[in-house]
Amino acid sequence: MVNFSKRTILVALLYFFSYAVTSQTIKVGVVDYPPHINFDEALDESSLIKYMNSVLLPLNHSFEYVKLPRVRATVELEEGRIDILMPIPVVKNTIMTLPLPIFHATPGLCFKKENFIPILSATHRFSDLMIGFPANSPLVLALEDSSANLIPLMGENAVNRGIELTQRGRFDAFYHPSPVQVYHRNTPKFKEVACSYFHGYSTPIYVAVANLKIYNLLNTAYQKALANQSYEYFFANRDN
Amino acid sequence: MLVKNKINSFFRQSFLIICILFACFQSIANENTMKPLINDITKMYMSSMVFIFLNQPLINQKGGDKSSLFGERFLQNIQQTYFAKYNEKFPLEDHLAKRALLQAMVEVMNDNQALIYDDEIGFKGIIPATFAFQLSAKLATKGVGLKIKFTRTQGSIRNKLNSPDKWENSVMLKVIKKPQIYYDENGLLNGKPAIRQFTPLPMAPYCLACHGSPKNNPLNKNRKKSDWTSIDITGFEMENWTMADFGGGVSISIEKSVFR
Repeated sequence: MVNFSKRTILVALLYFFSYAVTSQTIKVGVVDYPPHINFDEALDESSLIKYMNSVLLPLNHSFEYVKLPRVRATVELEEGRIDILMPIPVVKNTIMTLPLPIFHATPGLCFKKENFIPILSATHRFSDLMIGFPANSPLVLALEDSSANLIPLMGENAVNRGIELTQRGRFDAFYHPSPVQVYHRNTPKFKEVACSYFHGYSTPIYVAVANLKIYNLLNTAYQKALANQSYEYFFANRDN
Repeated sequence: MLVKNKINSFFRQSFLIICILFACFQSIANENTMKPLINDITKMYMSSMVFIFLNQPLINQKGGDKSSLFGERFLQNIQQTYFAKYNEKFPLEDHLAKRALLQAMVEVMNDNQALIYDDEIGFKGIIPATFAFQLSAKLATKGVGLKIKFTRTQGSIRNKLNSPDKWENSVMLKVIKKPQIYYDENGLLNGKPAIRQFTPLPMAPYCLACHGSPKNNPLNKNRKKSDWTSIDITGFEMENWTMADFGGGVSISIEKSVFR
């Protein structure tokens, strides 16, 4: 009789804890990264959120998205207040990411449309151009080796200021680590600047996780989703 | 006991023979699949370049319906171009490398979508050579053990990232003397065993619009000879090549591990 009770309690506890685990809410921190995640539109409309929903749904967990400013986002992850953070270039060894990137960012130059240079391997065309760049962003070799006048811009908001200065004609061009953020069909800036890319110099952008438990959970689900369709292909087909 | 040992020995030997036979069949099967795969990939890649060339007016025009340049419709157009060029059915998507290539084509066109729809930009710079390079760069990020390069001899390359490697240099020296497809099933890619193929491309009249002499330059049309420019539409100095020159070629490498 005593044994039966103990066993019953044990089973009940196990059931309770397994239920608690499966119903745990996963907090997904997201940073503004148009056109993949766009804070100017409903979050559910963003392509990366739609794709991530398809990864997370089969996990039988509830999940919640939290909009975060870029700088605070990594702190939130490191301190365990969010479980997942995306999209993020790897900047710190202390941040754990899924092994395969979610997409790649290709750097490029943004011009006022009348000064547009479509093919950036023609680096001789940069001669004597005044090209701004965010001081905290590494440049591609092709630009470093060119005879452009490279002007660093300091500060957190250097990218946006640089684009504005280009629009006003203060720079001939501005180096952007991921120009797709300002040059895509749904942005107001699309009307004023045009950007071209340093193809062959792309960097991986990842989904970061807070701990090993989340890593194992998410990585298995991500691998399954990848076998079906990568995010980059999903994004390329979003309008079709 | 003796009978039991004999039976065991028989089974062990049989198992060994089966393993050896299996390995032999596997090797023959690999050989039979490797060459057709690399041929298919070469032709799919070249068909996409032809389609981009044929659609320069659509790519660069202001406005209009450009949906045939994107997504599934783009792939259907590549398939039709393939059929028109080779008079054979488009290969089945029965291998990871082929699927990766087709997906990369769609992704590259999507990357250029803002530019293609930008009516304030005339020449978009999406020509066969740049499309081919973007495709190669995209594939390099996929980690599928497939590398494609549209290259030419050292010293005549506009984009340094397309520079030939040692294998390509040595093959091109042979190809220039005797133009033919060069296949090597004992090559290396990223230090790993790979099959490699170099397919020479004959110089075509449209190549000369950029790489020929000023008289071939469309920018000089209806201009006095004294006003001709030797800078082509992409911003590069023209090379003065003629139809008799070597047109470079498509170099494709596939890691052998991909076939397992």
